[in-house]
Amino acid sequence: MRKFTQVFRFCLVGIAFLVFSCDNDPGEMPRGEFEGGILILNEGAFGANDGEVFHFDPMLDAMNSDVFEGKNGRPFAGLLQDMVEADGRIYLVANTGKVEVVDARDFSSIGAVSTGLDISRSLAVANQNLYISDWGPYDENFNSPDSYIAVVNDPNGGNISRKIPVSSRPEGLYVQNGNLLVACAAAGKLEVISLNDQTVGSSVEVDGTPARFFEDGGRLFLFARGSDQVYFHEINRGSLGIQQTIAVALEQPTGIFSHDGQGNVWVVTSSGWPDYEDAIAKITLNSAQVEQEALYTGSGFYGLGIHPGNGQIYVGDNNGFQGNGIVIVLQPDGQLVRTLAAGRGPSGFRFR
Amino acid sequence: MPLLYVMLLGGLSFGNGFLPFDRDTVDLQPVEVYSPALDKFTHGQTIRRLDRRDLAEFQGRSLGDLLQERSGLFVRQYGAGMLASITMRGTSAGHTALFWNGLPINSPSLGQADLSILPMEGFDEATVHFGSTGALYGTDAIGGAIHLNKRLRFSQGHQVNLQQALGSFGRHNTRMGHAYSNGRFSSRTGIYHNFAQNNFPFINQAKIDTPTERQNHARVAQWGATQDLAWQIAGKSQLSTSIWWNHTDREIQPVMGSNTSDQQQDGNLRWVADYHHFGQLFSWNAKTGLIRDELIFNEASRNLVTQYFMGGEAEGKFGEAWETKSGVRFTLIEGKLSTYAAWENRLELYQSVNFRPGERWGLSLNLRQLVYEGNWAPFTPAISGTYALLQTESHQLDLQSAFSRSFKVPTLNDRFWVPGGIPDLESEKSLSGELGLKHLWTKSDFQWETQVTYFQMKVDNWIIWLPNGSFWSPSNIREVHNSGVESFVKGSKSLGKWQIEAQADYAWNRAINRTNVTENDRSQGKQLPYTPEHKFQVTGRLGRGSLSTYVNTHWVGERFIATDNVSKLSAYQLWNWGGTYAWTAFGKMKGDLGLQINNLFNTDYQVLRLRAMPGRNYQINLTINL
Repeated sequence: MRKFTQVFRFCLVGIAFLVFSCDNDPGEMPRGEFEGGILILNEGAFGANDGEVFHFDPMLDAMNSDVFEGKNGRPFAGLLQDMVEADGRIYLVANTGKVEVVDARDFSSIGAVSTGLDISRSLAVANQNLYISDWGPYDENFNSPDSYIAVVNDPNGGNISRKIPVSSRPEGLYVQNGNLLVACAAAGKLEVISLNDQTVGSSVEVDGTPARFFEDGGRLFLFARGSDQVYFHEINRGSLGIQQTIAVALEQPTGIFSHDGQGNVWVVTSSGWPDYEDAIAKITLNSAQVEQEALYTGSGFYGLGIHPGNGQIYVGDNNGFQGNGIVIVLQPDGQLVRTLAAGRGPSGFRFR
Repeated sequence: MPLLYVMLLGGLSFGNGFLPFDRDTVDLQPVEVYSPALDKFTHGQTIRRLDRRDLAEFQGRSLGDLLQERSGLFVRQYGAGMLASITMRGTSAGHTALFWNGLPINSPSLGQADLSILPMEGFDEATVHFGSTGALYGTDAIGGAIHLNKRLRFSQGHQVNLQQALGSFGRHNTRMGHAYSNGRFSSRTGIYHNFAQNNFPFINQAKIDTPTERQNHARVAQWGATQDLAWQIAGKSQLSTSIWWNHTDREIQPVMGSNTSDQQQDGNLRWVADYHHFGQLFSWNAKTGLIRDELIFNEASRNLVTQYFMGGEAEGKFGEAWETKSGVRFTLIEGKLSTYAAWENRLELYQSVNFRPGERWGLSLNLRQLVYEGNWAPFTPAISGTYALLQTESHQLDLQSAFSRSFKVPTLNDRFWVPGGIPDLESEKSLSGELGLKHLWTKSDFQWETQVTYFQMKVDNWIIWLPNGSFWSPSNIREVHNSGVESFVKGSKSLGKWQIEAQADYAWNRAINRTNVTENDRSQGKQLPYTPEHKFQVTGRLGRGSLSTYVNTHWVGERFIATDNVSKLSAYQLWNWGGTYAWTAFGKMKGDLGLQINNLFNTDYQVLRLRAMPGRNYQINLTINL
């Protein structure tokens, strides 16, 4: 009898273990394959459509190449322009006219927007809708007079329900108070679309060529660049107008930048003809000064990211698009830490 | 007597003809219009003339398709009917010189030729000269050269030829030709129209669930006309001229994942005139011509390049052992491109010598110097030779060897493109050596030919374009070491009324990049992209009476996608089948009725990554000869 009781207790414990193991508490769910580490956005080469996402796990010191193809059994087949994460999904925006939607945990395909886009650039999610900035088709002089924001009424993708015309070459997007802010690069404008009636409510010219929005210390900025200055247009979150513009003198800035959320911004500069020397400059927003003009120099700098944990600087080097590129990892003071093999044209990072 | 002179100078070569009156059984009486023999000063070098039936079976298709399926050469095809560029011995597309009736037809602005817009209707004969041949042919011939020639004959009377082909995916080809010749005058006229909708189904790997879709932006329309004239003058001289106009209008097939709708029109006008004077020991030739290439991309980008040629050469024979050739060629190039305009003159002097110290020996020395706009291209010498190891009634075994230097003048785009062109770029240059064996085995009803060649080559100053800030610029930066083996086998045997033939090519190409273009480049020591190490093709033929059939297969090995060899495309193999019935009706009316099935097993394949290619497709051909 005693032996039977022991067996009975053992079975109870086992059943209880199984029951609790099957609990659907999301806090107990195993982490997805790519929920940690660093996602590397590789744009791909023009005409080859070989954009891809790589994943680097610093704990294992392992690089996982071709994440999208590896998970879904088909190539990404596009030039990867942007990677946006929202509500458990990652949106892979190709400037070859499509958006792939994948599960943010493991990159398994959820859906896509594969028809109706032209030269898509970025994406924002609001109210279960997708808003995709798109240059539209080129005209005969390679201008983009028919740019638009494409609206898709399903966060998993599908057909485009509407195209909202905007000024030439919309790039970065930001959702604020039921409005969509649009940075129109070629037009040099900040435009605001009301998401209620999906029309452009305001359109103001800004200094420089606007590129992307970013938040720093709760403040919202629009980054823009000129030939010898960079501009940080601070946007009033209430009126959605430009509250102030921080102009910082910097020779030959490119549109490649990153920030640490603590008032520091890093910008890639390029000397152009004849030496084409690239450098990374560090700017302090509060002082509106260039703290270091050439923190690190080289050529072929194509992407930039700041690790939020240790402040290390990740630089994408395109290797002249002769084969795949590399990622250069730097200490905050610019000292080289290591290099990592990346894909074709590494152009962005997502630290998770 | 003209026949004698022609044989003295270069020997006769009876190629296949534009019209089907060039049959397999060749009548030796009619005299062809003379063209210099390509194998005249090439002892020990590898030259292969493509089978005339191969050319006939590819009517309505392009030189790119022909070389891909019937040779060991690899053609980078960007889709069905799209840009097709060749690689020979692991070199780039611009390292193969192309000639039409002796005129170089590589674009001086692009530095290469698009084989997809060279339809078979423009030539009767295709000859591949493998290996470095800059001393013989001038710029671009680093990997080799391809010669496309017309062949005219005298004393044939009136002949009319009509051909119609219908095929899958909206393909139709129409061709009409008329020829007239007597003992002193020969004329041949041809017009053609080729069209392919190219709406073939393909698996769209760029879309979720990889649906099978129809290709919808790959239509190709092509029109063309040819006119050839030749006169026998006073028995010892011959005047000939040929003109070829070709226009191609293409929708550019987008790479999977893109929705581009680019359009391209190519207009090509080629004209050549030759005067040949034949003497017992001394002969000479004067040649002139022009090549006009217009490329319009999306209507806005217009690029027009015209080349004017003038040249002459003289050949002499001194005893049984020595032959020489001296020549000069002047080229004036006028480029009006979308971002620049440029004029350039080129002057080339060349000298060739053949020496046969004994029956078993043959030696060739070729020298060339090209000067362009006052810049001296690398002096280009080449020496080659052959020695007969074995000579019996049924066997001939030759040992062959060649050493040569070649070069490529930077293209107009390399030097003048705005922005990015670098005017003082140097010529690309190469050094190569090869060693081979050639065996011919003949019996009364059996013939077997084998050739194996091992080569090594170094190409230096290789120009590549690199991004420099907001645009790209070329640099003389790359060095590549190439090595490999080419082999070729051909055999035929008669079994009663049956005729069996087989022919195969195998190529092994190593093309190793020796240079890193940046500090972080990982390309050094790696195979060049889209250069398969291995390729082979086999074609078998069986014929009896008026019926004949063939089976062809070609296999292309893995191709790396980028210079660092991280990812690659899978190898693929395609099978093709065809059958022909040669018919006769109403006495003088003859013709062929043929059926071809290409990609017999409906293999899903890509020559270049994400470029869809057609699956199984059918074609019916009807030819009428009057």
